[in-house]
Amino acid sequence: MSDSMRPPGMRDWLPAEMARFRRIEHAFRDVCLGWGYDEVRTPTIEHLHLFTSAGTLSPQMLGRVYSFLDWDGWTGERVVLRPDSTIPVARLYAENETPGAVRKLFYVQNVLRFAQGDESREDWQCGVELIGDTQPMGDIELVLIAGEAVQRLGLDATVKLSAPGILRAVLSRAGYDLPEQLALYDRILEGELSVLDEVAGRISGAGASVRSLLSMEGDGVAYLDNLLSALGSAVPGIERAVADLRAVSETLAEVGRKHTIAPLLVRNFEYYTGPVFHFYVDGVKVGGGGRYDALLGLVGGTDVPASGFALEMEVIASVIGDSVEQGTAVLIRPEAGERAAMAAAFSLASELRSAGLTFRIAGKAESGGGPEIVASAAGFTLRLNGSAPKHLARPADVVSALSDAGL
Amino acid sequence: MIKIALPAGDLRSPVADVLIGCGLHVEGYGEGSRSYRLAVRGRDDLAVRVFRERDIPIQIALGNYDLGICSLSWVKEMQALFPDQPIVPVCDLGVGAFALYAASSTTAGGRLQDIAGLPTVRIASDYPNLAETFAMAARLPRYRVQSVWGAAEAYPPEDADAVVIAAANEAAVRAHGLLPLHCLLRSSAWLIANAESLRRKQLSSVIAPLMAASQPGSTPHVLLPAPVQSNGARREVTAERNVVRMAIPDGHQQRHVVGALSDAGLQFSGYDDATCVRRPGSGIDGLDVKVVRPHDMPQLVALGQFDIAITGRDCLFEHLHRFPSSPVQELVDLQRGQYNLSAVVTEDLPADTIEDALAYWRGQGKASIRVASEFMGTADYYARSRHLWRYQVMPIAGASEGFVPEDAELLIEGTETGKTLKENRLKPIDLLYRSTTCAIGRKAAALDGPRKAVFDHLLAALQRAGEASGAV
Repeated sequence: MSDSMRPPGMRDWLPAEMARFRRIEHAFRDVCLGWGYDEVRTPTIEHLHLFTSAGTLSPQMLGRVYSFLDWDGWTGERVVLRPDSTIPVARLYAENETPGAVRKLFYVQNVLRFAQGDESREDWQCGVELIGDTQPMGDIELVLIAGEAVQRLGLDATVKLSAPGILRAVLSRAGYDLPEQLALYDRILEGELSVLDEVAGRISGAGASVRSLLSMEGDGVAYLDNLLSALGSAVPGIERAVADLRAVSETLAEVGRKHTIAPLLVRNFEYYTGPVFHFYVDGVKVGGGGRYDALLGLVGGTDVPASGFALEMEVIASVIGDSVEQGTAVLIRPEAGERAAMAAAFSLASELRSAGLTFRIAGKAESGGGPEIVASAAGFTLRLNGSAPKHLARPADVVSALSDAGL
Repeated sequence: MIKIALPAGDLRSPVADVLIGCGLHVEGYGEGSRSYRLAVRGRDDLAVRVFRERDIPIQIALGNYDLGICSLSWVKEMQALFPDQPIVPVCDLGVGAFALYAASSTTAGGRLQDIAGLPTVRIASDYPNLAETFAMAARLPRYRVQSVWGAAEAYPPEDADAVVIAAANEAAVRAHGLLPLHCLLRSSAWLIANAESLRRKQLSSVIAPLMAASQPGSTPHVLLPAPVQSNGARREVTAERNVVRMAIPDGHQQRHVVGALSDAGLQFSGYDDATCVRRPGSGIDGLDVKVVRPHDMPQLVALGQFDIAITGRDCLFEHLHRFPSSPVQELVDLQRGQYNLSAVVTEDLPADTIEDALAYWRGQGKASIRVASEFMGTADYYARSRHLWRYQVMPIAGASEGFVPEDAELLIEGTETGKTLKENRLKPIDLLYRSTTCAIGRKAAALDGPRKAVFDHLLAALQRAGEASGAV
């Protein structure tokens, strides 16, 4: 057993880390509200069956969910700690919205998945889901929203686009059944690129370039056109995926959003059906998302096109610095040994809050480097940096003095 | 000292033969000695403890034992839920072979696609974790796994749509009136080891002879089905029932229930002191009777699959401790089969109350209290309500008296006369409750018409039996 009382993979967010968390949240919310999105939140506990149908979570992800029988689980049906937010938001839409209506939703919430050792088991995400027939504009909008949110935090995100349909079409053309495709998909994404040679060998007319073409990252439309010209006749199934990707890539290029195309990008989510996008900061992946047109039908709704993304808050928090904007907090210290001083200190605190000022009530051993006020039954003694102490009779006088001092 | 866990039950005899063939003569093991701790002839360096088979992987994983022998199926059952437990399957001893099959009832259909289209697939199994893994791999859109204490094959078609069961082959599955869907695992008795013991401890004097006698080959994997593609559509199932369904127990409860039924003026053909068929004849129009393990009855009643059941209060409380909002309640106390469910410790513990015991253990610097019980929900409830602070509840399938003090500090255990406790140098220090045989049903069960008349008739008869027994 670990010596810590904290279970493995769970973290405490300390004050400086929470400050970063809130900065990310505020930046993200501002951007989403600006683009006309509405905030939602889904429950921490959902039914397991929401995630088990083929086309929802991958077997790898399902193997990591926290599922259990609830206190009323005598039926034998399990519940799960939310392992993903897109599927619950899709359920929320299916249960609360008019089928087909365009809804632009965002959320800030956690997901919980088992991981080995001390690897994180609880991840906070800020995400967006755009549900309704908006393709391809919706995908473009999402890439721009994510980019703006990251930019607000002083970071520059690079974008990689992909389409799982390309690899699916190649594996299908090679004659693999669905379980084999999933297994191969995983091996390829784990970096076992030699699998692609084996796959290419099973496709007549695919040529020797399959491995090179699929494993490289290309520049926008030019690369997509090359991919289609090299593989399109042997694997006609890639045409649709490439066309979807081309529409997004072309417009992003026109609005000046730089990006690359990387066919081997997606993992662990079976629900993506169309273009997929990942965001990187200094080579570190900070988020991703994509199109999931078949998901609504699997969670009890009618099929409605949709796409979304999520940004990983913990990862972003690790790459943004601490904010340099630190407000000056006034320290209020009750006169030692004087009972009435406490009431005076709290009266002053109320007055300062009304005036919108920030302060700290000092603990016994606390000393501050900034403005300090000693409260007593006789009034308040204000010490500003480098000035002589000033006696003030009423809380309102203190507020005026602080205001005069520019605080 | 090398600590070895050996299986009780059906594997005892073939495993004893293998061990003797390897020069390891465990005194009294093959002969079915009732003792849980056995010596190995001429080997003072070996300590053997006999467990119910399904407890052995848990004991090995906990590191309480270095080596164990059990069916591979129980290792896989545990690993399905806890894949990273430090258990290493060492070699196949080539005895006790069977396979684990997923099978469906004939009414549910013989293909995965058929059962996937049911509104909810009910899967009964005494391998609940593997059943869950099977359902998840098949991507069944909606399912529930009913964990049962054996005889899962008796659940379909009324009480389950599918099962995961052990059987010799597909023909044996079909002999139960079931349709094989998928073979999950080929199992046999395996030597297993704790990974840490393998890493640090000299075990070769046991491993080498058993390896020499073992079957060649690699460890079989659980074979999972391909995902069923679903479009979310569900088959309509109408389940209008016009009879009252009653569950009665097998096992040690049977004789108490036969007596109670007799006092109630009820006689079910095929269910008496000497016989027990799965579906006894009730002789009453509108009453179906089925024999079910008493542990499983509260859940079946909660689900509405039975209207009334006769079980032990221990099984009812276990269910209610796990699922406090369950609609099951005690209807009649039949006042038979009485025993105390108690917290039990070793006689050597200088404590007569749970408070004193806790103070003693804390004084000894114990970081965590190990509580062993067949009643996990009850043990967990007890540990919480008695503020044991940091504790581990260890599920055990039986042979419980041997756990304390080496493998657990505390046992939540039934005691009738106290004789068995005394023989095993144990003592009760806290009474949880007194268990008796009782009839259970759903709160506010909405029966009407002829079903209500049958139900009321049964209830009145059982009440008379309870009063008669109480008056003795």
